[in-house]
This record gives sequence, C-alpha cells and structure tokens, in this order.
Amino acid sequence: MTLLPLVFICPLVGALLLAFLRGMPQRLAALIGVGSIALSALSVAVIAVTYLGGDHTPVTVTLWQWISVGDFTPRFSLYVDGLTITMLGVITGVGFLIHLFASWYMTEDLKDATGYLYTRFFAYMNLFVFSMLLLVLADNLMLLYLGWEGVGLCSYLLIGYYYRDLDNARAAFKAFIVTRVGDVFLAIGMFILYARFQTLDIQTLLALAPEAWSKGDMMAELAALMLLGGAVGKSAQLPLQTWLADAMAGPTPVSALIHAATMVTAGVYLIARTHVIFELAPMTLGLVGIVGALTLLIAGLSALAQTDIKRVLAYSTMSQIGYMFLALGVQAWDAAIFHLMIHAFFKALLFLTSGSVIIACHHEQNMFRMGGLRKPLKLAYACFLVGGSALAALPLVTAGFYSKDEILWLSFASGHEVLWAFGLMGAFLTSVYTFRMIFIVFHGEEKTRAHAPHGLAHHLPLVVLLVLSTFIGAFIHPPLAGVLPASPEGDAEGLQLVLEVVSSIVAILGLGIAAALFLGRRRLVSALVKTDIGRTGWHFLHNAFAFDQLYNMLFVKPFLAIAWLHRVDWINALVNIWPWLAKQAHRGLSASQTGRIRWYAGSITAGATIMLALLVLG
Amino acid sequence: MNLTTSHLIALLPLMLVCATVVIVMLAVAWRRNHFMSATLTVIGLNAALLALIPAAQVAPIQVTPLLMVDHYSLFYMGLILVAALACTTLAYAYLETLPDQRDEFYMLLGCSVAGALVLVASQHLTSLFIGLELMSVPLYGLSGYAFKERTSLESGIKYMVLSAMASAFLLFGMALLYAESGTLSFTGLGQQLSAGGLASNWVILGVGMMVVGLGFKLSIAPFHLWTPDVYEGAPAPVSAFLATVSKVAVFAMLMRLFSLAPATADGWLHTIIAVLAVLSMVVGNLLALMQSNLKRIIGYSSIAHLGYLLTALVASDGLALEATAVYLVTYVATVLGAFGVITLVSSPYRGADAGLLYHYRGLFWRRPYLTAVLTVMMLSLAGIPMTAGFIGKFYVFSVGVESSLWWLVGGVVLGSALGLYYYLRVMVTLYLSPAEQPGRDAPHDWAQQVGGLMVLVLAVLVLIMGVYPQPLIDLAQMAGLQFPI
Repeated sequence: MTLLPLVFICPLVGALLLAFLRGMPQRLAALIGVGSIALSALSVAVIAVTYLGGDHTPVTVTLWQWISVGDFTPRFSLYVDGLTITMLGVITGVGFLIHLFASWYMTEDLKDATGYLYTRFFAYMNLFVFSMLLLVLADNLMLLYLGWEGVGLCSYLLIGYYYRDLDNARAAFKAFIVTRVGDVFLAIGMFILYARFQTLDIQTLLALAPEAWSKGDMMAELAALMLLGGAVGKSAQLPLQTWLADAMAGPTPVSALIHAATMVTAGVYLIARTHVIFELAPMTLGLVGIVGALTLLIAGLSALAQTDIKRVLAYSTMSQIGYMFLALGVQAWDAAIFHLMIHAFFKALLFLTSGSVIIACHHEQNMFRMGGLRKPLKLAYACFLVGGSALAALPLVTAGFYSKDEILWLSFASGHEVLWAFGLMGAFLTSVYTFRMIFIVFHGEEKTRAHAPHGLAHHLPLVVLLVLSTFIGAFIHPPLAGVLPASPEGDAEGLQLVLEVVSSIVAILGLGIAAALFLGRRRLVSALVKTDIGRTGWHFLHNAFAFDQLYNMLFVKPFLAIAWLHRVDWINALVNIWPWLAKQAHRGLSASQTGRIRWYAGSITAGATIMLALLVLG
Repeated sequence: MNLTTSHLIALLPLMLVCATVVIVMLAVAWRRNHFMSATLTVIGLNAALLALIPAAQVAPIQVTPLLMVDHYSLFYMGLILVAALACTTLAYAYLETLPDQRDEFYMLLGCSVAGALVLVASQHLTSLFIGLELMSVPLYGLSGYAFKERTSLESGIKYMVLSAMASAFLLFGMALLYAESGTLSFTGLGQQLSAGGLASNWVILGVGMMVVGLGFKLSIAPFHLWTPDVYEGAPAPVSAFLATVSKVAVFAMLMRLFSLAPATADGWLHTIIAVLAVLSMVVGNLLALMQSNLKRIIGYSSIAHLGYLLTALVASDGLALEATAVYLVTYVATVLGAFGVITLVSSPYRGADAGLLYHYRGLFWRRPYLTAVLTVMMLSLAGIPMTAGFIGKFYVFSVGVESSLWWLVGGVVLGSALGLYYYLRVMVTLYLSPAEQPGRDAPHDWAQQVGGLMVLVLAVLVLIMGVYPQPLIDLAQMAGLQFPI
C-alpha cells in the first residue's frame, strides 16, 4: 500500500510537466502523457496483487490532515477496498489503452486541425485521470467532491479542446452547466450528512447512518435523493442527460475515456459507495431503478435515429448506464459494478474504433456517408463486430451478455418485473441500433475512400480491448465480496435459464430486424421516413425526445426573460449602494493622503490626542 | 552577571549579523565589489540562520536582564533572517545597475536586521528602544537609497521625520511608566500591574503613548498615513523589507510585551485597541480600493493586514500566539513574493520603480510564469483557500470567534470583501491584452537569477502552506509556548 500515493501522483506530475513545458516535441509529450498513466497502472497492479493476495481487508491510508480546527478535521486520506480496486483497474487500465491510442489519434487529428497544442491535450487527460483517481480513492466526501469537480472541469476543457469552433465551446458550456446542476444537489446532500453526523468520512458516515436513521426516515430519503441528484448529473441520466450527446464535440479518445469508460460512471460509483444510505431510503432507491429504466429506453430509442456515429455511441452509453442504475435500484450492487467494468471495455473499444474509422474517412462522422468499410478497414470491422455484439449482449460469446443478463435476471428475481420488462425492451433496442450502425457503416456500397491506419499505438489498444470484450473479459470478476451487500437472490433457480434464453432470443431478434431493415437498399425505412408520421417521429427521436427544446422552454427562456426583466433592477440598485458608498469613502479617505509631511504629523498628533483623551477620561 | 558559553551561544545569531556588517564594511574599505558585498551578506545571514540551531539547544535562556532567547524569539529571528535574505537577493538584482555606490546598502540592511533581532528578544523597555531604533535608523537611509530619484529621497525623509516623532511618543510613554513603577522590565511591569499597584492615569497614559509609537511602526490607523508614500518611494527591495522584517519584529515584541505585562486587561485600552484594529481593516482596504499604483496597494493592504493581526493581540489568549506566528509567516511569504515580482519588473534600475498598474497590463502575455507568481500572491493576500493567506486568515477568524470578538470578526469579514475587489483588479490587469506601448518588463533570464528563483520558491511555498499547513502549524505551536518568566 506504500505505492498508493504513486497511483495518483504520476498523472499529476505528468499533467504539470505537460502544462509547464508546452514547447516540447510531440514524441516526448506522448511519452510523458502515456508513460505517467502506465506507471500509475503498474502501481495499481501491484496494489491489486497485494490486496487480493491478502485477506481482503479494506485499508485506510491517511496522507495528511488538511487543517484541524476544533471538531472540523478534514483529512486527506484514501480508502482501498474491492470496489476501489475495481475502479482503479478500470481507470488506469482502460485509461492507459486510451492514452496510448490517443497518442496516435491526436497526431493524425492535428495534421488537419493546426494551431492546437498537443501537450495541452495530454495535460488535460492526465489531469482528468488524476481527478478521477482521487474521486474513487477518497475516504472523505470532501476529497471525493474535489475529484468530482476536477473531472467535471477536465471534461469541460476537453470537450472544448478545439475551442476555435464556437459550437464546441457551447457544447463544453452545456456539459459543464448541466452537470453543475447535479453537483449542487451533491453539495446539498453533503451538507445534510454533515449537519447530521458532523463528519464527512465516508466509512464513519456509513457506520453511523443506520444507527441514526430508521428505514424510510425522511432525512435519509432527502440525503439519498440529493446524492442521486449528483449522480444523475454526472452519469447523464434523466432528467440531466441532455449534455452527453453534445459532449461528443471533444476528440474521440476523450469520448472514450471520459464520456464512456470512466467519468460518466462516477454516479454509479457514488451510489454504490454510499449504498447504506440508499438502503435506508427505499423510495429513493426505487427512484434510482426507475430513472435507469426510463433512461435506457429513451436513449435506446434516440440512438435509432442518429446519423452521427459518435452520437449513436453516446446514446448507447446513456442507455448502458441506465442498466447500471437499474441494477442499483434493485440492489444488485455487484451486477452494477460488473456491468460498469465490462461496459468500460467494450464501449472504449467502440469509441476508439469509431475514432479510427473517422480518421480513416478523413474526419467524416456521418454514417450515411461511410458505407462498405468492411473491406478496407478489416481491424475496425472486427472491433465493431465484437464490441457491438458485446453491447447488444449476444449470448455466450460476448462479455456484455454475462453482465447484462445478470442485471436482468436479478431485477426479475427481486420482484421488479416492470423494470425487467423495460430492460428487456432496452436490450432489443440496443441490438437494433447497434447493428443498424454496423450495417450502415461497414456494409452496402462504398461511398468514400478509406485508408487503413497502422502503427502499434493504434492496433494494440484495439486488440486488447477486443479480447476483453469477448467472453474472456467476463472471467474478470470484481473482488466485491464483503464490500457491497449480496444481491437478493430469488428462489426460482430454474427460471434463470429461461430468462437468459428469452433475452438471448430478444437480442438475436434485434439483430435480425436490423439486418432486415438496414442491410441492402433500406427501402422499407426510407419509405417509412417519407410519410408524415414517420418524419415527425424520426425528428422526435433524432432530437432525443426533444428534451433540449423542452428545457429551453422551461428553464433557459424563462431565465433569460427574468434576466431581461432585471436589466433595470431596483434591488440591484439598492445593492449597488454599497460599492458606491465604498467608492465615496475611498475618495474621502484618499483626500487625507496629501503627501504633506506636516499634515501627516498633524494627523498622528490628532489621533494620539483623541486616543489618549479617551483613555484618561474613560 | 557573568556571561557563560551558553549565553554566547544564545547570542550567536545576533553577533554573527553584527560581525557581517563589520566585515562588509572592512571589505568595502579594501575594495568595492558589489558581488562580494552581497555574497558576504548572504553568507553572514545564512550563518546566523544556522546559529539558531545551537541557540535552540540552550534556549530558553536569559542573557542579561535585557534579552530573553527562548523559542518564541528564535522562531521570529528565523523568520526575520529568512525575510532579510530574500530582500538581499532581490536587492542584488535591483542594485546591479544603480548608477551609484551600492555596497553600503548591505551594511544598512545588516544593521537593521540586528536591530530586529534585538527587538524580538527584548524583555526590557531599554532593549526594546535600542532594538527599535537600531532597526529604524538604517531604514531611513535605505528608503532614500536611490536618492537621485525624488520619490526615494522624499520617502526617506518622510519616514525619518515621522518615525522620530513616533519614537518621541514611545520614549515619553516609557518614561511615564518608569516614573510610576520604577521598573523597566516586562515582567516587573507585569507583576506590578497584576498586583494592582499601577492604577493611576499616568500609567494608562504611558501605555497609550507607547501604543501610539508602536502603532506608527505597524502603520495602524490613524497613524498610517506615511505607509503608502514610503512604500511607493522606497526602492522595491526596501519596501519589501519594511513590510516584512520591521512589521514582524515590532509585532512579535508587542505580543510579548502585552502577554507579560497585560496592560490591555484594562477595559478601556482593550476597547481602544480593538477600535484601532477595525479602523485599520476598514481604512486600509478602502484606501486601496481604486488605487492605481501596485506598491501603494500593497502598502494599504499591509495596513489592513496589520489590522487583522491586531485581533490576535486583542484576544491575547488561547490560540493568539499560534495565530500570530502562522499569520506572520504566511504574510511575510506573500508580501515578499509580491514585492519580489515588482523588483524583478523594475530591475535593472531605470529610474523610478515600475509601480503603476499600467506597467503590469498584459504582463501574462510576456512573462506567464512571473504573472502566475504574482497571481498566487494576490490570491494569498485576499485569503483564497489553497493559498497560505487562507490559513492565516482562518487562524485570525478562529481567534476572534474563540474570544467572542464579534466586532473584530465582522471587521475582518468586511475588510476581506473590500480587499477581494482590488486584489482581483490587479489580477485582471495582468491578463488584459497588452498595452500599445510595451511597458516595463523583467529581463528575459529573470528565472535564472537568484531573485527570480527566490520568487518562484516563494510561490510554491505559499501554495504548499495552503494545502499542507501542518508543518507550519507545528512550528508555530513551538513558538507559541508560554513565555518563560
């Protein structure tokens, strides 16, 4: 455990080096940027081996105490248990592969987009990994919040990496502001917890909460609800999901790392980490499941009508995180974290491959202008097939099958049949939109000349992630025993097989329908979209249920209207009295600074006289 | 009494500083060489700093009735020596191109440091006065050192005349105290005060006059008017010295005086010092509000900061000593950093210092790292978390809250709010688009010079103290031990 600080110090040092030595050559920048994450991943590996080789006792490492005033003693301490190890593995392992890929991707991307600093990209990426590691290592909600805000900041910076395009800047704003709404809830949740327990140490909180609150206590519900508010913001779930699709403006490795594998799963981690509080709040816990179920369905439908390859993946990310929330909602904690890990594998694979495809097609992101790429881009095709199958959870051979079916089975077994039905519908949709994407991009007639990328930095991450996305990845089981409570098992053992068969059939059915609709000339779909209802529906789905327009009407416009009304604001005028007074006082006092020595001497004498007179008379 | 070896060891830091002055003087008599004078001074100050370690072994020890070398005084001696070293390194770059004699600067500086060392160790009104004058008189010369520059000369003369006046107040107050009590030692005064034998108006008047004299040195309102003029006119390294060493020494001595001889236990005096504190906070910050000269801004802000610090003096119990130590360390590091940047931008010497904010407009686009340093210092002065200034201000708040000094706490809040405005204004200026005509600028290789390195180190220190203040707090707790009587 002595290596523990090294885990997050490496990326921090990398970020600082890259930030301050901006003029370094690209190769060196890539070496520092990727190397720091590699070192961090190695440290995690050593820690994981020692932890798993031992007796799995959680470890708290206090690095230092920030400040100590009375009872307020926020410590800078880290906490390591099976959940932390799992998250560390995902962040540094997948993070390293994505960084490696990014060293290739950014070199290619910046050939066309000149004027953007290569070092700046890696500085932000390293800073992101640092913050994310801090988030999962923190033993204290305050430190967790530091990491939480850090990843938000890096997400903002990286979405707006190509800042000269105003749309990218807008997307970055949107992501930052919408997640910020969630952050405020999280902060309020922390205030509630602190007010009740006088501490923000997570383990102490989790120990104290069941003593102070009975199940269903209103304060517990409120605290959990606020934490959920933070989680839905970060994890792009209803009702704060609107930012994720626009966040695709960032470079593709960013989408892979931040908006698929790590940051957006922070909400899942937060809920799993504070599961005790959620168990005391059954209503909110139920809400977690409902949020997940609704999001996975809405996102799944929206993904059907996207034309941009990255937006399809973005919506699929939302829907997969919906599954994780669903799992949390039915208290299938292990399953949620297992799916989090597997999802990180195959979604990173899909995003990286899409990046590879985008570069190969000269920065083309519209799927309908690609087509027939399976011949020139063999590796990408293989990756998409495997990753897509994992996403669609095709039975037996894919990793996604094992993680997703566990969620579906546990939701059914714990008696949440409605949620299970939602999940099943989602599985069907997933299969349809995934293979729609694959068929449109890789089959049909060739519409563009693609150049197959080459190089180890390009191939290695893809191949490793490809292997992990198959059933081999499902052999990695997160060491969560004893960390999270066991899932409530149903009694119908035989039923599990039936359900697995059902969901397998649904997935394959989805594949079949996608093949029928989108392989070949796509006549049926074209005809459907040409009808009035079809076109309206398509637009509705394309705009993701028009949440943006709705929020625009509900929040943005009224806000702007209120702001407009307050252009001439008498309250403001009242408040402005203070600056005015301060300025007048400044003028008055400045008059005393005459620069004349006799006046200065006189003022000292006068001051002394008044003071001494008061002293003697008083 | 006989001086034994341990007495000499306890005095070693002071003696080394004095020896440094003599050696520099002799060296100058032999040959004028700026580099050699500066190096000798730096060596001497470092040796004095090292001598604190053996001195700490024999502390606490009373050396003659005049001086007390205990952990408290050693802590502040260390702070003073470090600050003086920083000023020396800054001065070297600044003086390098001064078209005049340069070596005397270091002698004056050394004398002043010796005075400051005496001051923090003094436990007797005699040594208090000797120390104070030994520290102040060389400062007149230092403020006017670039005397071909009108403002510098003006600043020297202003400081001299007004300071003499303040000394007169101080001396008269001491005389009154002596007339009533017949003793000059802090503890003797304290015993008589606690025995209740000193209730006459003369004593109160005496203490009051001493407060006037020392309040002037600390630039407490309403005795503050000289501060901005002197800071503005004096060469930047001297302003740094004035703002750090002289303030630290006087305040540390004042804490000791008021702890050993609790004259402030008297209700009225207590109230009046509290009023002066609030007045300083408000007046200092208001004066800085629309100021366009960076050196004056720091001058005004030092008025306000000393006002905050007076909270600890008013409380005088519990956390007060610890808070003072922490606050002074963070304040010294911050102000040195700020003046360091000003010095670097002003040197090599090209007439009056680059004080106007206009000179700093868009500095970021020319000297990003230097600007980052100044930004950190401004944040620290404003007391933003994660900088040293926050820790210091936090301590002042805790002291105020602990002793239920609500008016003072209110003053600190109001002052901080006002302060934020002009600190941010400075920062905004740094990042604006550069002025049409290129303003004053630091040399290209500023980071390779000692002064530049020092400024960078200070910036890192200010950040580290803000994130990880525990070592500083431990040190301060050591200094905050009870005074051995």
